[in-house]
Order: sequence, then structure tokens, then C-alpha cells
Amino acid sequence: MNGRIEYWVKIPIGPIHPALEEPEKFIITLDGERIINVDVKLGYNLRGLEWIAMRRNWIQVLYLAERICGICSFSHNHTYARAVEEMAGIEVPERAEYIRVVVGELERIHSHLLNLGVVAHTIGYDTVLHLSWLAREKVMDILEDIGGNRVNYAGNMIGGVRRDITEKHKRAILDMIYYYRQEIMPKIEEIFLYDPTVEARLRDSGVIPKRIAIEYSAQGPTARGSGIKKDVRYNEKLGVYPDLGVKPVTPKEFTGVIKGDVFDRMVVRVGELWQSMEIIERALDQMPEGKIKAFPKDNMIIFKLKKAEGEGIGRYEAPRGEVIHYVRAEPGRDGPAKWKMREPTFPNLFAVARALVGEQLADVPVAIASIDPCLSCTDRVAVIDAETGKKRILTEVDLLKESIKKTKEINPNIKAKPEKIGIGRCVL
Amino acid sequence: MNNIIYATLGLIALYLYVSFASLLWEGLDRKLVARMQRRVGPPLLQPFYDFLKLMSKESIIPKHANKFYELAPVLALAVSIALLAYTPMGFAPLFATKGDVIVFIYLLTLIGFIRVLGAISSGSPYAQIGAQREMIILVSREIPMMLGLFTILWRLNYLGVEKSFSLATFYQRNIWELGTPLALIGTFILLAVFLAWLASEIEVGFFDIPEAETEVAEGPMAEYSGRHLALFELSNALKMFVSASLVVAIFFPWGISAYIGLSGTAALIVDVLFHTFKVFVVLFISMSVFRAITGRLRITQAVQIFWLRLLPAAIIGSLILAIDLLGVIA
Repeated sequence: MNGRIEYWVKIPIGPIHPALEEPEKFIITLDGERIINVDVKLGYNLRGLEWIAMRRNWIQVLYLAERICGICSFSHNHTYARAVEEMAGIEVPERAEYIRVVVGELERIHSHLLNLGVVAHTIGYDTVLHLSWLAREKVMDILEDIGGNRVNYAGNMIGGVRRDITEKHKRAILDMIYYYRQEIMPKIEEIFLYDPTVEARLRDSGVIPKRIAIEYSAQGPTARGSGIKKDVRYNEKLGVYPDLGVKPVTPKEFTGVIKGDVFDRMVVRVGELWQSMEIIERALDQMPEGKIKAFPKDNMIIFKLKKAEGEGIGRYEAPRGEVIHYVRAEPGRDGPAKWKMREPTFPNLFAVARALVGEQLADVPVAIASIDPCLSCTDRVAVIDAETGKKRILTEVDLLKESIKKTKEINPNIKAKPEKIGIGRCVL
Repeated sequence: MNNIIYATLGLIALYLYVSFASLLWEGLDRKLVARMQRRVGPPLLQPFYDFLKLMSKESIIPKHANKFYELAPVLALAVSIALLAYTPMGFAPLFATKGDVIVFIYLLTLIGFIRVLGAISSGSPYAQIGAQREMIILVSREIPMMLGLFTILWRLNYLGVEKSFSLATFYQRNIWELGTPLALIGTFILLAVFLAWLASEIEVGFFDIPEAETEVAEGPMAEYSGRHLALFELSNALKMFVSASLVVAIFFPWGISAYIGLSGTAALIVDVLFHTFKVFVVLFISMSVFRAITGRLRITQAVQIFWLRLLPAAIIGSLILAIDLLGVIA
């Protein structure tokens, strides 16, 4: 066995690589074109959001949550709002829930169209990339119309939503759905279900068997592509989703087989595009009249939350899988004492790294793109000492100490004292 | 003596013209593909700007590279220029002799080989993988092409040509003169093989494997920059034009100078221009359209296409041409 090791090559994919949209690092051990081992290194994109959040109040964190990730910006602040509502026991008006559903599903459509293009790009099929991103412009326009912005629509508020959906929006959305059903979806189905190049490249590559998907707790389209019926909207009876008849989409309904490969994951995404359109139509249909906020004024929320105590968990099926937010409140504090999120990319990334062993190098970019990785959500910091090879996970305290040290280094005249942050072991 | 001087001057003129035409085609190709993808695309002269910019940039040489790393681009360009002397350009190749097809194939393959050597010398793992892939493709793609080319030349020999097994043959006799239905079928099969070979020679669409941007970051070219990269780009462009010229010469050799009654230098210029136009048409099919409607395959799938699809097709096409000559089936 040792004789063979000499022929093994270690290839770094990342932190900067044309196949990756965000900095991450995969160290891939190769025997020719066959992959022997995949090592995932995270931590190139940490921005310390959890720490920043401890210095902000409950409302400000909403906007911070939105900036965790550019693509699922609505999912994150939706989940955060749910967590806070659960913690404080705030009832959300039904109309607000419906508006959340509509915007959330619009976001799912734009995220899935984006991912379809990215996967096509990684197999060198650039025409699909350009055309599917062109199709995506339509839903971006609608989102801009509703939220006032293409990416960060700032739709959510604790206890409701900030913007109503008017008749004008409703007509624009229905027009958009008509356009997608007539013009875009047949072409997308033709490419991702029947095109020979796509089938040759995506079939049987990056296979995540059902067992591994369960063991690694894969989420979202990655899990559903492996045949697990897992969808928070369905399993947890989230909000008003049960009334809208949401069901987990598996590739079985389209192709009749479940292999858990990249092809299946893309089939799930195509199926969810259809499903999202149906859900939006039903939601617009059933939407009741009424309030869109539990509190008419924002300062009432702060006032109520200042007295709140306890913890809350919000769950939501983001386009990439289940996202969980955890918040803890202390009475007298107008911001979260602890805010923690778990993103779908984290388990998916390790599941796909495990699935790549034994496959070809050519499959690495497409397999990674197929889980739609969102690393800006995922990153944590690990520091490795180059001399000893020891690894140390940095906590907030360490990071704060380091940054104070650095600030003093850059500007020795600075006088301000760092304020108290966090609780428990995080107190500096 | 005068002959050699004229031929050398002709080669230099040809080199300048083909450099211009091939870079112009790259610009056209980018524009056309951009329109197919509903984009605006870069300006038509973008490849010229790129080339000039690269020539003026600093060339970074990796720490682990050896001497051949700097030599390879120069060699590749030199070989491409030498190749031009053996390429049919609307008229017989400048240095056409008996059996020059072997020199042609040798030089064409040598460019790929030098790219591989340069990539291995760069010491980058991406280039290493790109070089492995290029090598595998190289040994797979040439066999169907050579089989088809030799069969056609062998068949044309029987029609009576001046220099047997020379690329000049195509301007005396061409494959369509055979005329029999069987020969036509064989020719169409070989035409398909040659168009697929052309796509793999210029590495687009299915066969964009060695330089796969999203997999191995431009493969063999991963470490090259500045002047060295510019030379490689130019030699690639020349190679693209030469490969397409071969297909044009075999299947569409007709000139128009005879029809409009020109002779001498004017006829040569008109023929070269018309040849360039035909090359652009062939490249439009084999490159622009092919690259717009396909993605990249895995290396194993590409090799399967060569050995299980193109090689049998070439064998069948060749056999049909042979049967037509020998008259086994009346």
C-alpha cells in the first residue's frame, strides 16, 4: 500500500478557485483522476455576526440577520423573527403569515433559478447559465417591487411584516407566474430532465445514498434528492403552510427513480419551482384581510422584548434546507444575550464531501455546486499553528482580544474602553 | 535559390495574415456565442486587445518551474508557424511534397505535446492534471482523424494526382468527384468524424476537458502569464485556423478565382480570402454552435466517444470508400 501513496497527489480546491462562489477550501487527495479523500477546511468567510448581534437591539438584529447571506436574506430574518416571536409569545396576524409565505416562495424561485445556472456553469454549459439568470431577472423585479430592493427586501418585522401586498403586486406576481409557466419552465425541464450533456454529467456523480444523508443529517434539496421526505414546512406544520398543501418534493414524482446524485438534486429544484408557484397562487387566493403587524409601532416591540425572558427557536425551510435560529433573552437587555444559527450548508457540505470519495475530480465542482453552498452563513474560525500543527477553535473572547490588540497596534492613541459583551464565559 | 526566398517571404506573409484572421475569428466567435446566450459580448477586436495587453504584462515564473517552462511557448509558436508552410490555404501548401501529410500531422500533434511539456514544467498540480487530460485526449483524438485522412488520400491517388499523399492533392482532385452513392455515404460519415475531431482539436464544448476552467483552472495554462501566455494564445489561434483549414481542404476545396477569371497574385489573394470565409463557416459549426449547445464531459466519457463512436465511424467510412473502389458490391 505504501508504494502506491507516492502516486497520490493532493490538490487544493480553494480558498480561491474558479469553481467556487465563496472562499472555502477542499483538500483533495487524488490517485490519477480518482478521489481518495476529501478534507473540508472552513473559516475563510467569518464576519463575527453573532458577536456583532450582542451589541445591537432586537430590531437591529433583523437587518443584521438579513445580511448573513445575500441569496436567502428573507429566510434568515424570517427565521430570526420566528425565534423571537416564540421566545416572547407574540401572535402573528394571519395576513402577515401569508405575506411571509409569498415572499419566501418568491425567494425560493430566485434561489433555485440561480443554482440551476451555477450548476450548468460548473459543467461548462454557459448558455444555460446566461439564460436561466436572464429568466431570474423577472422574479428579482417582483421582489424589488414588493420589498423595494433586489436582495435585502427587509420584509419581516417581529410580530408581522413591514410591507403589505397590494392588488398591483398581486397582478404582477400572477403575470410572472404565467410567464414562468409558459416560457421558462418547459425549457428548464427540457434541459435538466432530458438534455444528454446534462444527463451524462449529472447522473451518477456525487451520489449521496439515503443512509449517508440520514447519518450526516443532510437538509433541503440535498436530503430530498436522496429520497428523504424532509421539509420543515411539511413536517413541522410551519405557520400557514399546512393550509397551502405543501409536500416534500422527491425526484420519484418526475423520473421514477431515486439515486441521490446531482441529477436528482436538480430535479428536486425543478419540482420545487413548480411547487412554489402553486403555493404562491394559493396563498394569494386564500389571503385574508386584516392587520399585517402585531404591534403598530416598533418601539412597542422593544419595550415588550426588554421584559422578555427565556429562549426561542425558529425553524424555516430556506431554499437550501432547514435553517434554525436560537435566541436567548435576559430581562433588562434590549438585544439578544445569545443568538446562534445553524445553516443547511454545514451538514450538506460534509455529506457531499463524504459522497465524493471514489468519484472523479471532474465531479468535484458540480457536486459542490449541487448543494448550493452558502459559506457566508456557515463559517467558524479555527486557527492552526503552522509549526506544531495544533488546532484551536477561537471563541468570541479570543477574537475580541485579538481585535483589540490589533486596533491598539494600528492606532495607539485610541482611548475608548471595550464595553462588556456577552454572558457567561463570553464576558471579557 | 530564389524559390526558397519567395517561399520564406510567402510564409511570413501567411503567418501575419493567419494571425490576424484567427484572432479576428476568436473575436467573432465570442460575439456570436454571446448573442446566442442573449448577451452583448466583448468588442470584435477584444482578442487583439488581449494579446497586446498580455505582451506588455510582466510574466511571472513559478519557483518550482524549470527552464522548459519559458521555452515551451516559443517552441509552440515556432511549430505553429512551421505548420503553416504545410497547410492548404486555398492553394497548395507552400512546401508541398510527396507524403507531406505525415509532417502535417506530426507538427499538429507536436503543439499539443509541447503544451503538455510546458504544463508539467510549471510544477502546478492543476497544470499537472490538465497535462494528463490533454495527453489522454491527444492519443484518442488523432486516430480516427488519421484513418479518415489517409483513406481519402489513398482513394484520391487512384484518380491520378501529381504528388501522392500530399495535402496539395485536394486542389487537383476532390472527394466529391467520385460521385457514386456509396462514396457519398462514406464521405458524409467522414465529414461528421472530421467535424467532431475539429471540436476536440480546439477543445470546445464536450472536449473542453484539459482547460476546464471550473475544474482545474485552465489546466495546462494555469501558471502561464504575460508574454508566455500571449505566445501560447497566438499558437492556439493558429492551430485552430490550421485544423479548420484541413477540414475545408478535404471537403470544400473549391476556389472562386477560376470562375471570375483571375490569375497570378490576384487569384491567390482571392482564394485565400474565400478559404478564410469557408474556415469561418466550418468553425462556426464546430466551435461556436457546438460550444453554445453543449457542456463539458468527463474525461472517461470523452475517451469513450473517441474509441466507441468516432473510431468505428471512421472505420466504417473508410471501409465504404474502399468497397466503392474495389467494387466488391456492384
